[in-house]
Amino acid sequence: MSPVPEIRAFVRSRSRRPRSWLDHYTAGLGLAVTAAVLSQPASALLTAVTREADPSRTGAGIALVMLAWAGLLAAARTLGPVTPPSADAWLLLSPLDRRAVLRRPAGVLLAVSVAAGAVLGVGLLAVLGAPDHTAVRSAAAVVLGVAAATGGTALAVLAQASRTVDAWAGPVVTATVALAAAVALLGSGPGRRLLTAAATAPPTLGAAAAAVSAALAALLVRRAWVALDRIPARILLAATARTGRAAASAVTMDPGSLTWSAEDEHWRGRVLRSRRWPALPAPMAPAWQDWRRLARRPWRPVVLLAAAVLPALAAQAGGASRTATAPAGAGGGSPEAVAVLAGQAGTGAAAASLTAGLVLVGALAAAVTGTSGARRDGDNPALARLLGLGPRRVLAARALLPGLLGAAWLALALAGLSATGALAAGPWWPLAALTAPALAAGALRTARRRPVDHSMPVIDTPVGAIPTGPLVWAMTGIDLTVLGCLPLVVALLFPPAAFGGFLAVQALLGTAVLSAYLAGEGKRPA
Amino acid sequence: MTEPIIVARGVEVALGGNPVLRGVDLDVVRGEAVAVTGPNGAGKSTLLRCLAGLRPPDSGELAVLGAPPRDVPAFWRDVALVGDEPAWYPGLTVREHLDLMGAVHTPSRLEAGEALEAFGLGPRADAAPAALSTGQRQRLLLAMTLLRPSRLLLLDEPERGLDAGFRGRLAEILVRYTAEGGTVVTATHDPGLAAAARARSIVLSSGRARSTA
Repeated sequence: MSPVPEIRAFVRSRSRRPRSWLDHYTAGLGLAVTAAVLSQPASALLTAVTREADPSRTGAGIALVMLAWAGLLAAARTLGPVTPPSADAWLLLSPLDRRAVLRRPAGVLLAVSVAAGAVLGVGLLAVLGAPDHTAVRSAAAVVLGVAAATGGTALAVLAQASRTVDAWAGPVVTATVALAAAVALLGSGPGRRLLTAAATAPPTLGAAAAAVSAALAALLVRRAWVALDRIPARILLAATARTGRAAASAVTMDPGSLTWSAEDEHWRGRVLRSRRWPALPAPMAPAWQDWRRLARRPWRPVVLLAAAVLPALAAQAGGASRTATAPAGAGGGSPEAVAVLAGQAGTGAAAASLTAGLVLVGALAAAVTGTSGARRDGDNPALARLLGLGPRRVLAARALLPGLLGAAWLALALAGLSATGALAAGPWWPLAALTAPALAAGALRTARRRPVDHSMPVIDTPVGAIPTGPLVWAMTGIDLTVLGCLPLVVALLFPPAAFGGFLAVQALLGTAVLSAYLAGEGKRPA
Repeated sequence: MTEPIIVARGVEVALGGNPVLRGVDLDVVRGEAVAVTGPNGAGKSTLLRCLAGLRPPDSGELAVLGAPPRDVPAFWRDVALVGDEPAWYPGLTVREHLDLMGAVHTPSRLEAGEALEAFGLGPRADAAPAALSTGQRQRLLLAMTLLRPSRLLLLDEPERGLDAGFRGRLAEILVRYTAEGGTVVTATHDPGLAAAARARSIVLSSGRARSTA
C-alpha cells in the first residue's frame, strides 16, 4: 500500500465510523433507483433524436453545441479544474507523491467530463440526426462528445500546470465562440448545403472522425495525467479555496460573497493606470465608477453583446420561426428531438413564452452587469457613508448604465429574432429602448437584494415542498422587470398590428416603475 | 471652542442580553480629541456605533451635533466614520478613490496628490485596493476620510495594520484636524497614538466610562 491511501485510511478511521454493509447497500440502491428513473426519459430522448435532421436548424444547433463546449472549458478553467478537497489540502504541502494525492479528484474530473461529453454527444446527434445506421451514428456522436469534453478538460488541466498552455486556453474558448457564430451564420444561409452534407455524410466518415477524436483526447488525457505532478501547490490550493467558496455560497445561496472574492482576485492581479475623474455633479460622480469598471473589463460587454444572439439561436434550433408560420414538424425534420433538448413545448404560444422569458432574463442579466457600485453600497455601506450623498439621487444616477446595457442587449436580441423570422416585423428596437427604466429598476433591485432568508416557511405544493426564502430571493428583481416590461411581453406573445399604443404604455410604465422603486429605496441607506 | 459636539447621559446598551454599556456619560466639545480605551469587549466599538447612529441606545440620552445621531446622508455630511468594513470599489485605483471623494466633497480639505503624500500612498497610487496590504488599505481609508471635510471623526481602532512610524504621522494629522476645529473620538488599543494625538483618555471598564488624567 502506498503512503497516500494509508494516510487517507488513517484520517478516515479517526474522523468517521467505518462504512458498513448498510452504507454500501444504500449507495447501490440509490444508484439503481436513479438509473431506473432516468432510463425511460433517456430512451425516449434517444428515440426522439435519432431521426432525420432539419437543415434549417442544423447551423444554430451546431453553434449551440459548440457554445456548450466552450462554456464547459471556461467553467473548468474557472474552477480549477483539478480541485482537491479541502481536507486533502495539507497533503499538497507534504513530500507525498503529488499524482497519488490528486488521483481521486482527477478521477472525479474524468467521470464528470465523460458525463458532460455524453450530453454533448446526444446534443450533437439531435442536431445532425440519424436517418440511417442509427447505432453507428449514435455511437459516433457520443464518442465525439465524450472526446471533446475529456480533451477539453485535459487541456484545462494542462493549463493549470503550464503558463504557456494557459495562455492558449483562453483564445481557444474565444475562437470556439467565434466559430460558433460563423457556423450559425452559415447555417442560416450560404453554408446550409455544406452543413447538410456534413449531417448526411456516410456513417463510416463519422465513425472515423470519432475514432481520431478519441485518440487525440486519449493523448491529451495521458499528458494531463503526467502533468499532475507539475501543477504548483499554490494553484491547487487557490482552486480548492475557490471551489470551497463556490460550494459555501451555493449552500447558503449567497453568491454575493463569491462574486466579491472573484472580483478582488481579478483586480489583485491587474496593473491599472489612474485616470482623471471627470467633473460630474455629485450624484453622478460615484456612478461613474461603474462606467470605468466596465471600460476596464472590455471583454465583458463584448461577450454580453455576443450573447444577444442566443435567443435567436435557441428559437432557430427549436423551430420557433417555423411555429410562427407553419405547423411544427411540417418540414419532415426532427422537431421532437430539438424540442426535448431545448426544453421547448411544441406549440407557438409556448415558443413565444419561452422567447419572451429568454429575452427578459437575458436583458436583466445584461443590466445587472452595470450595477456593481449599487451592490457594493448595499453590501458594505462604509464608503457610501463617507460619500454622504442621498441614496435616491445616487441610485438614479446609477440607473443610467444598467438601463442602457439592458435595453441595448434587448434591442440586439429582438433584432436577431426578427432577422431569423422568429418575430414578426415591427418597431422592436424603440420598444426595447423604452424598457430601459424598467430594466434598470429590476437590475438595481437585484443588486441590492438582501441575502436569502432561510427562516421563511416551506410551502407544500402538488409538485413538492417549495422553500419560500430562496424563491423570494430569486424573484427579487425579476418581479419589477416583468412588471415594468409588461407591454413588451404582451407584444411578444400577441404581436399587434399597430405598435403605437404599446410604445406609449411601455414608456409610461417603465418610468413609473423606476420612479416608484427609487422613491422606495430612497428610505434605505445608499 | 466649548461648543458641545457629543453629549451622552446614562447610555445603556445590551447585546444578546449581555449589558455592554451601563450608564455611560460623555461630553466632547469642538476641537477636542477623545481616546476611548479598554480591554477587548469593553464596549468601545459599541459606543462608537451608538455615536454614529448605527446602534440606538437601549436607554439614556445621546446627542451628536445637537441631535440624536441618525444613519442618514445629512448626518454623514458632517460625520466621518472609520471602521473595519471594506470601504472601496473594486476596479478603481487608490488615486481614483481619492479623486472620487474630492469630486463629491467640494471643496475638499486636501487635494488627492496631497493626501497621497501625507498618507504615504504615492508609490501605490495606481494600485487597486485589493492589491494593497492591510495597513495600506487602512491608510487609504484614513486618507479618504481626512480628505473630505467633516466636523466629527469617529475612528474605530485606526491603528489597525499601521506601522509604528505611520502611527506617529497619523497622530500629527489628527492634531492638525482638531486645530482646524474638528472633533475626534477614537477607540484605540494604542496609548502612544492617543497621547501623540493629544487626546483626552476615557477608559471603558465593566460598561462604565472613566476619565483619566
